[in-house]
Amino acid sequence: MRKSDLFILYLGTLSGLLLLSLVDAGNRSHLATQQLAETRREVRALELTDLSLFTEARYTRHLSQSDRHTPFQDHPLALEHFPSGSLVAPPTLLRSGR
Amino acid sequence: MLLNPAILALSIVSFVVACMMLLATGFGLQVVRHWDIGSGSELQLTMERRTYLISTLVAFSFMAELVALLLFIYNAEQISSQFVGAMCATGVLNVDPYGWPTLYLKIAIFFSGAVWLTLNHVDNKARDYPLVRVKYGLLLLILPLVIAELVLQTRYFLGMDPDIITSCCGSLFTPEGQGVAAELSGVEPGTAMLLLTVSGAAALLTGGWYLFQRKSGIAFAVTSLTTFLIALLAIVSCVALYIYEHPHHHCPFCILKEGHDFMGYYLYIPLFIATAMALGAGAIAPLRNITSLKEIIPAESRQLIGVSMLFMLLFYLVAAYAILGSNLTMVEVWW
Amino acid sequence: MKAFIRKQRYLIDFTLSSLLRRPGKNLGLLVVYSLIVFLLASVMLFTHALRSEARLVLADSPEIILQRMVAGRHDLIPGSYLEKMGRIRGVIGKHGRLWGYFYDPAVQANYTLMVPRDRQLAEDEAVIGAAIARTRGVSRGDFLTFRSTDGNAYSFRVSAILASDSELVSADLILVSEQRFRTFFGIPEGYYTDLVLNVRNPKELRKVAEKLTLRLPDTRPILRDEILRTYDAIFNWRQGIVFVLLTGTILAFVIFAWDKASGLSAEERREIGILKAIGWETSDVIRMKFWEGAIISLSAFLLGYLTAYGHVFYANAGLFEPVLKGWSVLYPEFRLTPFIDGLQLATLFFFTVFPYTVATIVPIWRAAITDPDTVMR
Repeated sequence: MRKSDLFILYLGTLSGLLLLSLVDAGNRSHLATQQLAETRREVRALELTDLSLFTEARYTRHLSQSDRHTPFQDHPLALEHFPSGSLVAPPTLLRSGR
Repeated sequence: MLLNPAILALSIVSFVVACMMLLATGFGLQVVRHWDIGSGSELQLTMERRTYLISTLVAFSFMAELVALLLFIYNAEQISSQFVGAMCATGVLNVDPYGWPTLYLKIAIFFSGAVWLTLNHVDNKARDYPLVRVKYGLLLLILPLVIAELVLQTRYFLGMDPDIITSCCGSLFTPEGQGVAAELSGVEPGTAMLLLTVSGAAALLTGGWYLFQRKSGIAFAVTSLTTFLIALLAIVSCVALYIYEHPHHHCPFCILKEGHDFMGYYLYIPLFIATAMALGAGAIAPLRNITSLKEIIPAESRQLIGVSMLFMLLFYLVAAYAILGSNLTMVEVWW
Repeated sequence: MKAFIRKQRYLIDFTLSSLLRRPGKNLGLLVVYSLIVFLLASVMLFTHALRSEARLVLADSPEIILQRMVAGRHDLIPGSYLEKMGRIRGVIGKHGRLWGYFYDPAVQANYTLMVPRDRQLAEDEAVIGAAIARTRGVSRGDFLTFRSTDGNAYSFRVSAILASDSELVSADLILVSEQRFRTFFGIPEGYYTDLVLNVRNPKELRKVAEKLTLRLPDTRPILRDEILRTYDAIFNWRQGIVFVLLTGTILAFVIFAWDKASGLSAEERREIGILKAIGWETSDVIRMKFWEGAIISLSAFLLGYLTAYGHVFYANAGLFEPVLKGWSVLYPEFRLTPFIDGLQLATLFFFTVFPYTVATIVPIWRAAITDPDTVMR
């Protein structure tokens, strides 16, 4: 077998795996529809608004509900020190430079 | 401004391509002024060596721009959910006044790139670099496009503000509205289809004529370009409606969505390839009287035109499939 | 066409042999390259999957939430506001919502206490999220005791644990009865945390919100659209930050690639010299070098992407978890549903293969124009 054949075989395998990953993704998201529907039902029933990803502080727990327009969240001069808080995008008003 | 990886990638690509094109054009200027194939001077030798670098750079730039064009549209389609009022790429392009011009420039760069690459390909086949001045002169014309694209695209991305309420395709592409989009949608589907058939037939005829008679390569390029424009018109005014199965939805971008089986890509990609090749063939057609290209150009043109016609046929087949396979029947209304 | 393919195959043969002659150097490059693709791809797949899931799941959250603001802060809203706002066209239902936070010193975590509307709970009963059950080590039938604001201790019997499938939204929830909620937090009857308005037609949402701000000037409406866009923007922003940070890595890699491509060893120079002496043209050498780049780039791209896919969707992004968790004690355990599209792949390609190729063009050309006699002498 020539080297180029081996190479094509190798590249073919990898590309095949890439396609397989796409198929797997489609397949798994299809399988997850049930679970997602369950979660959606819970969101609707309990009237949830946020993901419970960042539970460290009250204003990161419910990002869409917290009053991010106030300068300090906990007390005057309470500088933000929670890791997830620092990764949240600043309000658009600040970024657009007025 | 939106900080999203695709936008970051697009900006980087435009910037790098602009730098590379600047370099290439700087060199092109030198070539246009000092090139002398008969000379054995040091300068000429350096320039001959450098042509390799420049062709590689430019070819690579155009490849990158081609992928960037696809990414640009795909990205616009994806981020439409982040704007109030946007439902597809139309809304996102409408977010600020630089959206549409950026798209047009990207398309223009794609086509000029196709022309340049064809010239380069032909030139490399000949022994004595007969087109070197034409080639590098052309770069001088393409550079402003690339720079303008970089500037417009940057302004476009910077001006993107999720708070802007943009208008969606439904309000832009309506016959009752104003502007080019409305004019396009206002064209009677019957007229559009008639024009499309006529121009397509003309393109195929001139192409066939060339394949047998080796004449009128330019005519083929012109008819193909016309077909390209008419095809875009026909998509907006008629073909899209059949894909949506909705008699009043004229958007040229929603057909790219998954919900419509990505039909848009099957329509646009063959159309763009066919037009690009036709333009390439048209660009080299007038050069066949140059001695060293006498043999090369007819062979190349035949290949280009043949492939171009194949892709054009493919486009027509896809369009026909879209219309005939649709559940929308407008026989009484339009025909 | 056949001749063209044959030529390319010989070129690949040759390039592979030439690459294998320097295994250490090229393998090193491949590993570093794949690692960079892996990092970027992991971040991308992870955030995209999370964003898609958030968009899908939160699409069912309440249409409008009305908060009362006092001195710029979210405050309790009197139930009388429900009447005060009057009838608004398009609103098909409105009611108060009760929820709040409770800091549990035992595990140093914040819980979200909530009064559910879809079930009736006894006064001492509580339904808890799976992350709480895990962290506190309780199961059905156990008791949880919390000290309330008035200094009394209240016991809750855990009557159920929320399904761990939905942990992404319910990890830190404690559902309690309304009665117990009010006594526990000392919230008087007739007051709510916020109000929920149901609107059937999404096109009327903005109009309704406008009317609300006019009739109840001390309130702030939050639309479902805003919730969805908040999460879209958050994940985009995070991804963007990580990418900007990783740009440094990419730049370092680009310099590395440039250096590797331009610092040809004497042996490699001789190889090119010999090739040119036996009749290869400059363009052939460029083509060979192009294949070299393509072989490495494609391998690295595919390997990096595939390992990232495994990492994110089969190993639950184990490497990121500490970073993403931040300081939260209660972190949901969830298995991400893969959402991948061409945009992700194309962007990834542009972030990795494009800079590498740009960096190597000039060095490749430098190598290709070498004069045979200067190297071989």
